[in-house]
Amino acid sequence: MRDAIDHILPRARALLSACRCEYAEVRLSASSGTTISLAGEQVETFSSGDTIGGSVRLLNNGSWGFVSFNDLSEIERHFGRGIEISSCVSAREKTRIRRCPPVRRQFSTPARKDFSRIPLEEKLSLISAYNTILKSSRLIKTTRATYRDVRSYYAILNADGSEITYDRDYCGIALTSIARDGSVIQPYSDSISGYGGFEIVEGREDMAETVAKRAVDLLAAESVPGGSYRVVADQKLAGVFIHEAFGHLSEADFVHENEQLGAIMVLGKQFGPPELSVTDSGDLPDLSGYIPVDDEGVLPRETRLIKNGLLSGRLHSRETAEKMGEEPSGNARAVSVMSQPLVRMTNTFIENGAHDRGAIIESAGDGMYAAGVIGGETNLEMFTFTAGCGYEIKNGKIGKMYRDIVLSGNVFTTLRSIEMIGNDCRMFGGLGGCGKGGQGPLPVAFGGPHILIKDVLIGGSHD
Amino acid sequence: MIERIKDGLFGRARWFDLIEVRGVGTPISYRNNRLHTITEHNNTGFGVRVNVNGKTGFSYTNDTARLDDTAEQALALAAYGDDEDFELPARAEKTFEPYDASIQTFDAGREAAGAEDAISEIRRKFPKATVDMSISGSTSSVRIVNSKGLDVAYRSSRYSVSLSATIILDDGTRIEASDSMSALAPVSHSDLRASVIHKIEAALTPGTLPSGRVPVVLSPRAFARIIGIVTAGLSAKSVWKGISPFGDKRGAVLFNKVLTVRDDPEIPDSPYSYPFDDEGVTAVNKHLINGGRIEKFITDLKHARTLCLVPEGNGSRGYSSLPYPSYSNILIEPGSDQRDAIIGGVARGVLVEEFIGLGQSNTLTGDFSANLELAYLIENGRLNGRVKDCMLTDNLFKLLAGDMVLSRERERSGSVVAPTVLFPAVNYTG
Repeated sequence: MRDAIDHILPRARALLSACRCEYAEVRLSASSGTTISLAGEQVETFSSGDTIGGSVRLLNNGSWGFVSFNDLSEIERHFGRGIEISSCVSAREKTRIRRCPPVRRQFSTPARKDFSRIPLEEKLSLISAYNTILKSSRLIKTTRATYRDVRSYYAILNADGSEITYDRDYCGIALTSIARDGSVIQPYSDSISGYGGFEIVEGREDMAETVAKRAVDLLAAESVPGGSYRVVADQKLAGVFIHEAFGHLSEADFVHENEQLGAIMVLGKQFGPPELSVTDSGDLPDLSGYIPVDDEGVLPRETRLIKNGLLSGRLHSRETAEKMGEEPSGNARAVSVMSQPLVRMTNTFIENGAHDRGAIIESAGDGMYAAGVIGGETNLEMFTFTAGCGYEIKNGKIGKMYRDIVLSGNVFTTLRSIEMIGNDCRMFGGLGGCGKGGQGPLPVAFGGPHILIKDVLIGGSHD
Repeated sequence: MIERIKDGLFGRARWFDLIEVRGVGTPISYRNNRLHTITEHNNTGFGVRVNVNGKTGFSYTNDTARLDDTAEQALALAAYGDDEDFELPARAEKTFEPYDASIQTFDAGREAAGAEDAISEIRRKFPKATVDMSISGSTSSVRIVNSKGLDVAYRSSRYSVSLSATIILDDGTRIEASDSMSALAPVSHSDLRASVIHKIEAALTPGTLPSGRVPVVLSPRAFARIIGIVTAGLSAKSVWKGISPFGDKRGAVLFNKVLTVRDDPEIPDSPYSYPFDDEGVTAVNKHLINGGRIEKFITDLKHARTLCLVPEGNGSRGYSSLPYPSYSNILIEPGSDQRDAIIGGVARGVLVEEFIGLGQSNTLTGDFSANLELAYLIENGRLNGRVKDCMLTDNLFKLLAGDMVLSRERERSGSVVAPTVLFPAVNYTG
């Protein structure tokens, strides 16, 4: 795998050193992986395969040209095409980017149990055991248990003189039970992934048990009545909330040429209560959003997005950093070498506050405890996300279970409506990830402590 | 190369098929009113599926040099596969190709000039608008070879344009309007800018509506998105898993008799058409729902066998995945009312253009709960501003079984051709 890339590196180096464009980079990758997906009693997928790919990105007279390919032997032709297409239109307004000091590093994933040495039988046996747990009730109609591992060797070279390679091992599992009682069908899922070895996916029986139990419990839960609620979000939902509702607004490509959004996203402006601090950091090796280097060859750093309620930073690529006169933050990420880097989050979380979970629920009085997450989406003003399940809070005590909890609201007013922040931050990340600009799923992690938010809209019936 | 692999697999597998996918695309991307990137994608990939002793193995690569290893890997993995007992097709009919040779006239310079025109026109009308636009020309080919002697290929071409404009009003309200189109070769896209301008104009003033059950009109684009909740349950894969609400309902009338939905792989000029599917099964036009009655499920070969269905060309895959049931073009038959008359008949309700978060609900049962990204208040039959910070929550199957009115006009949104639809009472939370 390495050989296929390494023997192209001198040719890429030569192309970059002869290139007269304002900036150029070459990214190359070779990867191989195994996917096992069980559905109910069936082996839905048991496949392995390998892919190789590369891309050239050039900034030529103020315009980006990007060529992706999987025939690496023709890198010179593709590089030439990049120059050709980037010069076929003259941009009215020229793009400029921040040049950075060269980085020459080699990274690799530390793994306790190298998954490439684990026999296929053992991988199948592990995911089959989880699948058995997922099926543990007669009310569970079907399941899906997926195991995936990917080993890749990645290289990025650029006109700054950077040359970085990364041996990356990534693996994870995704578990779903679908329970059915008559016409009521309830799925419940959870997932975990990370950079490392087989140890990431071992010992996850608890996760499978919780998934199966929640799916069955939800069958008996009522649909939530629609309305405005005081909501206590658990750590996972708090994480998705901060990723969806605020994190995307911090991606500077949304801000850097949009004067109106720029006028809202002013550093120092109040965005939440003084207890609220939010951070993104790609440099947390245990989490799904870890990157040793971004896809523009910039080393990641911790970025405080909100500090004590005030907007204090944002996520940058080289282009947005140059445009806004700030520093690149190492957040230019692409879903593969075949795609262009975009400004993306890595590991994003609300920092711990002062309150215990119990005190938060008690303070909520009458409201809704929303736990877990099915998905989330934002348009930078409004967000919608779906909790895995919910529980009524009455007089500060957890009550009956509800299903179909879809929360929605305005990003800015909801951030200001955070009333309490817990002290029990946890991080989450699974085999899925974040989507943006047609690129997904990109591995990210998110999290936070329990939080109490007032006036959250929950969709529901008015019968 | 494929020939060598094919020869090597005879005698070692009960059956096998190989898929080869090739594609070249040139997307031009405008972001925030200006040219951002011109891109060229070149992709090739191979998938090898083999059946040994009744069990299926699969492997893939996009590196031609590793094709032999890939075939060996597929053979080795067959030991872990499921028992699969279906026949591969021996022949496929190629009556057409979704390909227009004039895709070769795609010229990045000319397309960029067209994009600049569209952006200028929108900004003349709304100087504060930020416009994103993407124009792409691509060609691809699929070749399917199998142990039954099948060796077929077809070319396809696609020209697609998407346009979206965003305005942030002084009070922070964000209005985003978008539209898109696709064809087999470059065509005029000036309708898109008119559509986007119209959508923004209608959204500039706020409108409010109290929570309750209200009449809701879905635009063809919104109807095209929400019908996915129904079509998800008409896939043989969902039926086989026991999670389709329609699994035991074939032949039953579940919806209003005005609802007829077809899967039609033969629509001219649609990039979603194809002569045969990715398993080499000739694709045919079929009724999924006919006069409210559940008629057919779409299927690939595997699920056709397990559910005793006739495969009719809905097996879809890229080179790196096993086939799964998928739609070609979905057509919702029109009604007889004019769109304007439908809206004109609503005293107080909502017209929905775009949802946000629609796919996150537990849609297996037809339940949905979604925020309205772009929707308008209808008062006395006329649009009267935009409603926002509101949600629709209901059960789509119940809505489609009850009273509904379909327009005679239809529009294509992605792979779905849909009319406008009116539901007289939908749960609205504002």
